[in-house]
Amino acid sequence: MRRAIVLGTALGALAVCGSAYAQPKTLMLHQWESGSDAAAIAKLGEMFEAAGGAWEQTAIAGHTSNTLAKLRADVVAGSAPAAVQLKGPEIAEWNATGRTANLDDLATEEGWDEVVAPELLPVMKPTGSWVAAPMNIHRINWIWGNKAVMDEAGVADLPATWDEYNAACEQAAAIGKACLAHYSADWTDATTFEVVLYGMHPETFKAAFVEGDLDAMRSDEMIAALDQMRLMVSEHVDPDILGGGDYDATGQSLGNGDAMFQIMGDWFIGNLKSWGFEPGADIACAGAPMNSGQPGFILNSDSVVFFEQSDPDFIEGQRLLASLILSPDFQTIFNQAKGSIPARLDVDLSEGFNPCQQVAQADLTASIEAGTLVRSMAHNMTVLQKFRGAMMEVITEFVNSDMSSEEAANLMADEVEAQI
Amino acid sequence: MQPKPPPGLTPNGLRMRLGEWLPFALLVPSLIASFVYVFVFTGWTFYISLSDSSLLPTYGWVGFENYAKLWSSRRWNIAYNNLFFFSTFYVLGAMAVGLLLAILIDQKIRAESLWRTIFLYPLAVSFVVTGTVWSWLYSPVAGIEFMVQSLGFENFEFALTASRDLAIYAVIITGVWQSSGFAMALFLAGLRSVDQDLVKAAQIDGASSFRIYRRVILPSIGPIFIAVAVIMLQFAIKTFDLVVALTGGGPGISTTFPAIFVYDLMFQRGQIAQGAGAAIMMLLALTVVLVPYSLWMVWRRRRDSGHG
Amino acid sequence: MVDAVFADDPAARAAQRAYFVNRVVIYGLLGVFSLIYLLPLAVVIMNSFRPLPEIAEYGLINIPRQIHFSAWADAWGTYCINGACEGMKRNFMNSLYMTIPATIISTILGALNGYILSKWRFRGSEVLFTCMLLGVFIPGQLALLPWAFLLGQLGLNNSIAGLVLVHVIQGISFTTLFCRNFYVSIPDDLIKAARIDGAGFWRIFRKIVLPISPPILIVTVIWQFTGIWNEFLFGVVLTSGKQQPITAALVALAASETNVRNFDVMSAGVLIGAVPPLLVYFFGGKYFVRGLTQGAVK
Repeated sequence: MRRAIVLGTALGALAVCGSAYAQPKTLMLHQWESGSDAAAIAKLGEMFEAAGGAWEQTAIAGHTSNTLAKLRADVVAGSAPAAVQLKGPEIAEWNATGRTANLDDLATEEGWDEVVAPELLPVMKPTGSWVAAPMNIHRINWIWGNKAVMDEAGVADLPATWDEYNAACEQAAAIGKACLAHYSADWTDATTFEVVLYGMHPETFKAAFVEGDLDAMRSDEMIAALDQMRLMVSEHVDPDILGGGDYDATGQSLGNGDAMFQIMGDWFIGNLKSWGFEPGADIACAGAPMNSGQPGFILNSDSVVFFEQSDPDFIEGQRLLASLILSPDFQTIFNQAKGSIPARLDVDLSEGFNPCQQVAQADLTASIEAGTLVRSMAHNMTVLQKFRGAMMEVITEFVNSDMSSEEAANLMADEVEAQI
Repeated sequence: MQPKPPPGLTPNGLRMRLGEWLPFALLVPSLIASFVYVFVFTGWTFYISLSDSSLLPTYGWVGFENYAKLWSSRRWNIAYNNLFFFSTFYVLGAMAVGLLLAILIDQKIRAESLWRTIFLYPLAVSFVVTGTVWSWLYSPVAGIEFMVQSLGFENFEFALTASRDLAIYAVIITGVWQSSGFAMALFLAGLRSVDQDLVKAAQIDGASSFRIYRRVILPSIGPIFIAVAVIMLQFAIKTFDLVVALTGGGPGISTTFPAIFVYDLMFQRGQIAQGAGAAIMMLLALTVVLVPYSLWMVWRRRRDSGHG
Repeated sequence: MVDAVFADDPAARAAQRAYFVNRVVIYGLLGVFSLIYLLPLAVVIMNSFRPLPEIAEYGLINIPRQIHFSAWADAWGTYCINGACEGMKRNFMNSLYMTIPATIISTILGALNGYILSKWRFRGSEVLFTCMLLGVFIPGQLALLPWAFLLGQLGLNNSIAGLVLVHVIQGISFTTLFCRNFYVSIPDDLIKAARIDGAGFWRIFRKIVLPISPPILIVTVIWQFTGIWNEFLFGVVLTSGKQQPITAALVALAASETNVRNFDVMSAGVLIGAVPPLLVYFFGGKYFVRGLTQGAVK
C-alpha cells in the first residue's frame, strides 16, 4: 500500500517535471552531409541548442534518392522524422498524404507571408497552409567566366545573348581554350539545358518544364534550344572533361584557365572559394544569356518540411526549428556559407555577402517585376519526380549520343507521356 | 536418404522421443524467419506491383498495368539488355581469369599463400569502395590515361567511362577484378580435390600438362564450373552499388541496371508499384537461372546416392 | 643443385630448360596479374599520404613527392561527414557493434541448421532446405520496405539491434547452405554409432560435429563478416543519425558531388573502412580455400 502511494507520487512528480520542463527536440533528415553545406547545417544545430533544444540529425549522402528512401522507410516504419529536407513538388506530394504538420499559427505570428519571396509561397503552402520553411533561394542561371582567359581571348564582357556566347566561344577556340567547362551527368546536363532553353525561349520553358505541356516539348523552340545545346557539348567543351570529369575537375578547369566559361548554380561560389578562386574578382559572374534582354532568374529553393508528431517535445521542437530557419540571423549565416540568397526578401545583403550574391538579389527583384521569374525543373522545383526523371534522362542521353534535336524533342514528349 | 528409423523401446524412450523433436524445434525459428523473408516479402512486393502505389504503398488494385508500362519503358529495356550483356562477359571473364590464376597457383609455386591473398583481397572490399577507386583510375583527367600521357605517350586513350558505348566494359573489367579471386578460390578448391592417381596415370602415359588439364583435370571439376557460373550470375543480377559508385548509370543512361531502375522508381521517383514490378522481374530472372540449376543438383544428388 | 650432376645429358638439359621456361612463364603471368590487382590498392595507399595540391597537379596515379599524415587523422576524427565534423570513428565502432554479433549469431544458427538438415533429416527437410536457400537470391531493394515496416512493428527501427536482426535473417540462407554441404560429408555411420552408444543431439554436435567444423566455420565467418561490414543499402536507410555504419560514411565521402573532392581524406577513409574485412581475409584466407573445397563446392 505504502509502496503504491510512493510509486504514484513519484510518477506524478515525473509527469509534472515532464510538462514543466518540456524540452524542444528535433530530428532533422537532410542531405547536406559534407563540406560547407554540413558546416551550415551544424550552425543551425548550434542555434537550436542555444535556444534550449535537443538537436539530432541524420545526414544522408547521394542526392535525394537515398534521402527519400530513408524518409519512405521511416514513414512505413511508423516514425516519420520531425523535419525533412524536401523541395518543390515533393512538398505538395507529401502534404497530400496527410502526414505533414501545419505551421499556420507560427506563420501568422511571425508574418511569413509578408517577407518570403512570393514565388515560394505556393510551394511552401501547397493547399493554403504552411507545411514547410524555406531556407534560401538559389539562382540556377549563372554564367561564370575566367577573367584572365577572357582577356586573352579578347572577350570584354560575359555574353548577354546566346549569339554573343557563341561568338565568344569562337574567340576561345582561336586561342586553343575550351569555351565551356562542363561534365555530363543527368543533373548537370539538365541544368545547362534549362538555362539555354530559358535564355532563348522563356515561354517554352514555362510551358514544357513548369506545366509539362507535351506540345511545347515537341515545338520548334525546344528543337532550337537542343541545337544550341548540341553545339555546346560538341564544339565548346573539352571531351575528356565532358565524359570523364566530375564536378571538381570541371570547376578547377575553369579556375585554372583551361576553360573560359561555366554554367552552374550559385552553390558554385562556395566551391570556387575552397579551390582558392575569388568569385567576383578572378571569376566574373553574371546572369546567363537572355536573348530577350529582359532580366531572368531561374529559382531553386531548399526547404524543410515538417511531419506530424505525437510527442509534445517534438512538436515544440518543430515550432522552434521553423522559427529559427526563417529568422534573419540564420538566413544570413546559412546563405553566406552556401552562396545562395535568403528566402526572406527583407535581409540586407550589403555586408558579408559577395558581389555575385548582391547581383542575384537585384536580379530576383527585377525578374519578379518583369514577370520572367521561373522555378527550376532540373533542381526539382516544378514537375513531379517521375516527369522530371524522364526529362532529365532524355536530355542526358541527347548529350551522350548523336540523336538529332527533333528526335530528342519527340522522345522527351513520348517519355513524359508514358509516365502520365 | 531414408527417414530415420523410429526410436527403439529403450528405458529412455521418452527422452529419445523428445530428442527426435528437438532438431525440428531448433529449426523452427530459422524456418519462420526465412519463410517471412522469402515468401511474405516477395508476396507483398508482388501484390504491390499490382496496386496503384505511388509515393507510399497503397492497396488499390490495377492488375498488370504496371508491367505493361515497365516493358514499354525504354530505360528498363536498356537496363535489361545491359544485364544480359554484362552478365555474359562478366561471368565468362571472371571464370576465365579465375581458372587461369587457379591453374598458375596450382603449379607448386613458392609463397603460394601470398599470391592467393593478392588475388583474393578485392573480395574483402565493398562494391562502393571498388566503384569509387576504379572511377578514379578510369578518369581521363587524373587516372590511367592522364598518367600514361604524362609519361610522354600523348595519344594514349583510355577513357572507358567517358564513352557511352564503352562504359559497360569499364563495369565489366571492374566486376572481373572484384570477383575473379572468388572464382579462383573455388577452382583451386576443385583442382586440389582431383584424384591424384588419375593425374599420375596420365603423366606416366606421357601426356603433356596442357593435355592433362584438358582431358583429365578440367572434366572432373565440371560441377565447379556450373557452381561458379551460378554464383557469379546471381552477383550480376543484383549488381547495384558497384555501378552507382563507378558510373552512376551513365554516361546518359547507358549503364543503367535493373537494380538501379528498381531503386530509382521505388525510392526517388515515387513510382513504387512499377518499381515493385521491376523487382519481381529481377526475381524472375534469378529463377530462370536457378530452377535448372537446382533441378540439376537434385538429379546429381539422386544419381550419387543411387551409386553409393 | 642435384640436377647439375646430369647437366651433360642433353635430354636432361632440355628438360631443365623446359622447366625453367615454364617457371618464367608462370611467375611472369602471376606478376602481371598481381600488378593489376594491386594497382587500386597502391593508388589508394599512396593518395592517403599525398597532399591535395600534389594530387591535383600530378594526377591520382603517382608516387608521393611529399608525405603527410593528416588525412588519416582527419578521416578518423575530424572530417565533416554526415553533417557532423567527427570523422568516421563513430561509424567504424557502429559497424563493429553491428557486424560482430550478426556474424556470430548467423554462424551459430547456420551450424545448427546445417547439422540438423544433414544429420537429423525428417520428412520434408530437403524441401525446407531448398526454401531457405531461396533467401540467398532476394535483391536488397525488394526487401527494403518490408524490413522497414517489420522493424517498425518490432520497435527496432533506426537501431543497430534492428540491423543485426536483418543481417542475421538474411545470412541464415548462406550459413545454412555452407554448413549443410560440409556436414553431409560426415559419414552417417559415425552418427549412428554414437546414437547407439546413447549420445543425444547435443552430445553428437559437441563431440563429433564441432571438432571437425573449423574450416567451414571460418568460411561462414569470413563470408558473413565481409558481407555485413560492406553492405550499404540497409546501413544507410534503416539507421539514423548516430547509429549509421561505416558504409554510410563511405558513401558520403564518395557521393558528395557538389563539394570539393578531398582525395587524400577519401583515400584514408576508404582504407580505414576496408581494414577489418581485409584483416579477416589475411588471417582466414588459407582456411577459406580449404573450407570451400569441403563446403561450398558440393
